Amino acid sequence: MNAEAFRATGRVAGKRLPRMDGIGKVIGKHVYAADFTLPGMLYGRVLRSNKPHARIVKIDTSRAKAMPGVRTVITAADIPAVRYGQAVRDAPVFALDRVLFYGHAIAAVAATTLEIAEQALAAIDVELEDLPAVYDPEEALTNAILVHPDWQDFKVLPILVRDGNMTARTRMITGDADAAFANAYRVYEHRFKTALQHPGYTEPRASVADWDANGNVTVWTNTQLPFDTQTTLSEILDLPVSRVRVIVPGIGGGFGGKLRIGVEHYAALLARNTARPVRVLSTSEEELIAATPRQSAVVHLKTAVDRDGKLLGRQGRIIVDCGAFAGSGPAMASVSLQVLAGPYRNGTLALEGIAVYTNKVPAGSFRAPAGPMANFAVESQMDIIAEDLGIDPLELRLRNIVHEGDKGPSGEELKSVSVEECLRKAAAAIGWHDRKPAPGRGKGIACSWWMTTGGSSGVYVKIDPDGTATLVSGAVEIGTAALTGASQVLAEALSLDLDDIKVAGVDTQTSPYDYGAQGSRTAFSVGNACLAAAADLRQQLFELAAKQWNITTDGMELRDKQVIAGNKTIAIAELARLSRLSGGGLIAHGTANSPGPAFDPGRVENHMLPAWNTPSFHAQAADLSVDSETGAVSINRYVVAQDVGFAINPTYIEGQIEGGVSQGIGQALSEEIVYQNGRVMNANLTDYKMPTAMDVPEIECILVQSASAAGPFGAKGVGEPPCIHPPAALANAIAAATGARMHSLPMTAEKIVKELRSARE
Amino acid sequence: MSFDLHRPNTMAEAIGLAARLGPAARYIAGGTDLVVQINRGRATPQHVIDISHLADLRHDIVQTADGFSLGALTRYRNIERHPAFQDALKLLPEAASVVGGVQVRNIASIGGNIINASPAADFVPALLALDAELDIQGAAGRRSESLRDFILGPGKTGLQAGEILAAVRFKPLPAHSATAFLKEGRRKAMEISVVCVAASLTLDASGKTCLAARIAVGAVAPKAYRAAAAEAALAGLPADTASFRLAGQLAAEQAAPISDVRASAEHRHHLVSVLVQRALETCRQRIAGA
Ligand SMILES: Cc1cc2nc3c(=O)[nH]c(=O)nc-3n(C[C@H](O)[C@H](O)[C@H](O)COP(=O)(O)OP(=O)(O)OC[C@H]3O[C@@H](n4cnc5c(N)ncnc54)[C@H](O)[C@@H]3O)c2cc1C
Repeated sequence: MNAEAFRATGRVAGKRLPRMDGIGKVIGKHVYAADFTLPGMLYGRVLRSNKPHARIVKIDTSRAKAMPGVRTVITAADIPAVRYGQAVRDAPVFALDRVLFYGHAIAAVAATTLEIAEQALAAIDVELEDLPAVYDPEEALTNAILVHPDWQDFKVLPILVRDGNMTARTRMITGDADAAFANAYRVYEHRFKTALQHPGYTEPRASVADWDANGNVTVWTNTQLPFDTQTTLSEILDLPVSRVRVIVPGIGGGFGGKLRIGVEHYAALLARNTARPVRVLSTSEEELIAATPRQSAVVHLKTAVDRDGKLLGRQGRIIVDCGAFAGSGPAMASVSLQVLAGPYRNGTLALEGIAVYTNKVPAGSFRAPAGPMANFAVESQMDIIAEDLGIDPLELRLRNIVHEGDKGPSGEELKSVSVEECLRKAAAAIGWHDRKPAPGRGKGIACSWWMTTGGSSGVYVKIDPDGTATLVSGAVEIGTAALTGASQVLAEALSLDLDDIKVAGVDTQTSPYDYGAQGSRTAFSVGNACLAAAADLRQQLFELAAKQWNITTDGMELRDKQVIAGNKTIAIAELARLSRLSGGGLIAHGTANSPGPAFDPGRVENHMLPAWNTPSFHAQAADLSVDSETGAVSINRYVVAQDVGFAINPTYIEGQIEGGVSQGIGQALSEEIVYQNGRVMNANLTDYKMPTAMDVPEIECILVQSASAAGPFGAKGVGEPPCIHPPAALANAIAAATGARMHSLPMTAEKIVKELRSARE
Repeated sequence: MSFDLHRPNTMAEAIGLAARLGPAARYIAGGTDLVVQINRGRATPQHVIDISHLADLRHDIVQTADGFSLGALTRYRNIERHPAFQDALKLLPEAASVVGGVQVRNIASIGGNIINASPAADFVPALLALDAELDIQGAAGRRSESLRDFILGPGKTGLQAGEILAAVRFKPLPAHSATAFLKEGRRKAMEISVVCVAASLTLDASGKTCLAARIAVGAVAPKAYRAAAAEAALAGLPADTASFRLAGQLAAEQAAPISDVRASAEHRHHLVSVLVQRALETCRQRIAGA
């Protein structure tokens, strides 16, 4: 029996069932990491640099240490000089000889109350001597100021090409782009810029750490990647992984901002020094100066077309601003190239992605990382080309999009290609035939594609004698209802109801491994592992029944919570009870992995993610009005047509789309961490502007279901794509409404007024 | 960040407490300004005197012989929905309904908006455009002062030690009058004004000529101001686009905005002229429609 043998009957999988954790969250019973406390717990706080780049002349903690209620103060001097990181191991726990950005951790304190901890921070004497700094990513490429003069000493993935502030360079090359450009009817060249965007989770990063009598540490934390956090902690603490236990109580949103270690290491180090549990909870200010926002980017994009608007080639360069540490920057420089290529037949490609250090906050992977930046450029430019050639923007896209069996940018074969259906459905729903319905009102469209991140998943599924099942997974529920989706897959396969499934919390000591709640993969990958476990359990159930009836398992069926053979039936519950008598109970280990598709290595250089797993396709369309005098944008309607492969639970897929589009609208119109001379000017939620319910219209969702071969019942990843298109779709709609073409995010009212004014002059 | 919380039963008790505790004490009404300031370390009171339940401040919206009196604790939410404010005094619900979000408007008081004296306070320009008078209670008794004179600068008012703002009064508008309030910010709720404008316009019986205008502008100077030159210029001018545009320009000339993370000074200047013109145009349409 294999997983493919299961077919969705629509009984559980595919149904709009209420999420399993919904009621607890609504009535306030659900325990989030920020709610978690232990008896005797101390409060930890982190001292952060108030200068963007400076030499540390002196750190004197003696006054702070002497304060009543202060239990420990630690700095870089107190711990081994471990550097951690993903592709590049460049990040120390505390600033070493220099602070590298405004917000860089210098010391940490644990005290009996939060107030005392805060006072202790103020009592730490730090003398900093300003150093010249580099903030602009383009300048950083040619600048003599090195963010890391010792960059050559870092341990890095061998695939990376680096040089000074450039911490990665990758390329995608197809055909002879130069020749294609030389013969083009027209060539378009533009520069686009995007801003730093905070992931905007409601719960700040929070961790409680406690050491047991045997020198093992447990950390309760709201991480999206408990196993990655466990590994990083083991490196920082210099302990075998088995002595580091990570438990995830609950997460108030992550969106990629809680992938990598955040405050766990501070809590663990402070707890070790004090022999008391310690909690560290980020403040809003710390979130905005020292969390991992979405990288900002500068995109130069050149496109060659023929007379009919057929694409002949794209040349371009995207510069991803990593901030002071590389983080996911090298990977994003890579992934952004697939987004720049877009779901198009480009003819030829010569794209380059560069990740660069600056003296700013270390940025990271926020939902569809690299997606919106690159899509803003490519989809804005598609409209510019359409306008110039006098071709309808939808038509221009339809002439160039990829189709079933086409090759992707790395030469991989594209399957279940649905971009045409998405474009046509989004356009029809927004009323594309009437694209400029009134002065100041216009419609815009954008399309894209995105991967379903791979990585392996393991689950244990245990069937109890009442016939219900418990799903033990190492994947955390970050609020997407992905584990409700995986449970629907499991219930479907075991002929159970969703109410019959329970999900155990994640504990690295007892949960099987999972690559983590990231990359639109949780429901997909855990769902597949559930199918594998269900196949195993079904076989176990058949064998138990066969033994009971003294027959073979041939022709047995699992239906309506029972095993059926001809006219004989026996309940799953009864078999689970029997299994306890002799077999130690019913349990199965299911695993899933999705290796990437075959690709042509000749088309990529130093690329960290050369070919995408199970890509999905999508289009979004906006109808908005612009006040020509104030520049204010009001979105009238917003439509999303997204290929989800198979909608395991349409309600929560729509929830993902609504949330993702809202974040995209924020990135498009209002959100930006603003730096001036290296300092963050809006490190509070008064001036960091996420959209409100009044700024986001009802999001109209069209779920396209073009089944994948790899996902459970044909599903594709759904969580990330919705936030890719809004900047481009809205920019195109603004251009349709006003004639003003916006080249930088966020497209504030002020920028729109300026653009309109310069267009008039 | 710790303080003693006092909960006096009467105004007299509150004022007595404030007198005894001196500058270390602050009154708290809705707390939507004060608590934020305490959290950000910008206010460090040792004593907080809760006045949010005092009956004398709670009388809400009362129609009097010569206008309206609003208790200092009046919540924006009540103003938004008040039937007496849906016509000529429309600027009141318009200003009230764009303060924060519904949760804020259910708890925040108009008195707090005035005493906090933020240059970007939304309700202050609305009241300025109505020539509001303040009733202030102190140890020595009750006094009145015009709102226009009362606010001195960012966070500064003429409130004397221990005094409580008790009520806000304003007179009804003459015939052929209407009002409007407009606000611009980066988003449509939970927003601090980049510019806000309140206007009250009175036309002659024909509806063709401006008799009087009162225009208040917020967020573009250390304190909200009345656009005196624009007001003076409008009297006697035809009620048309050219006049309103002129008023917008004059109002903008009086602005002294700063550039900050919310907007540039240039953009704020521009918005003042746009919003003043628009607010006046809205008033004119409202008078015509009435
Ligand atoms: C999320 C959020 C959004 C907001 N949005 C807006 C907005 O859009 N527009 C806007 O203008 N404001 C906004 N504010 C600010 C605030 O809500 C208003 O200024 C509100 O009117 C303050 O009233 P309060 O009762 O909460 O004042 P409090 O915080 O209780 O008091 C403010 C100050 O006034 C003093 N005080 C209060 N009442 C009296 C009294 N009767 N006599 C003497 N002194 C007194 C207090 O001592 C304190 O100094 C917002 C605040 C928040 C938190």
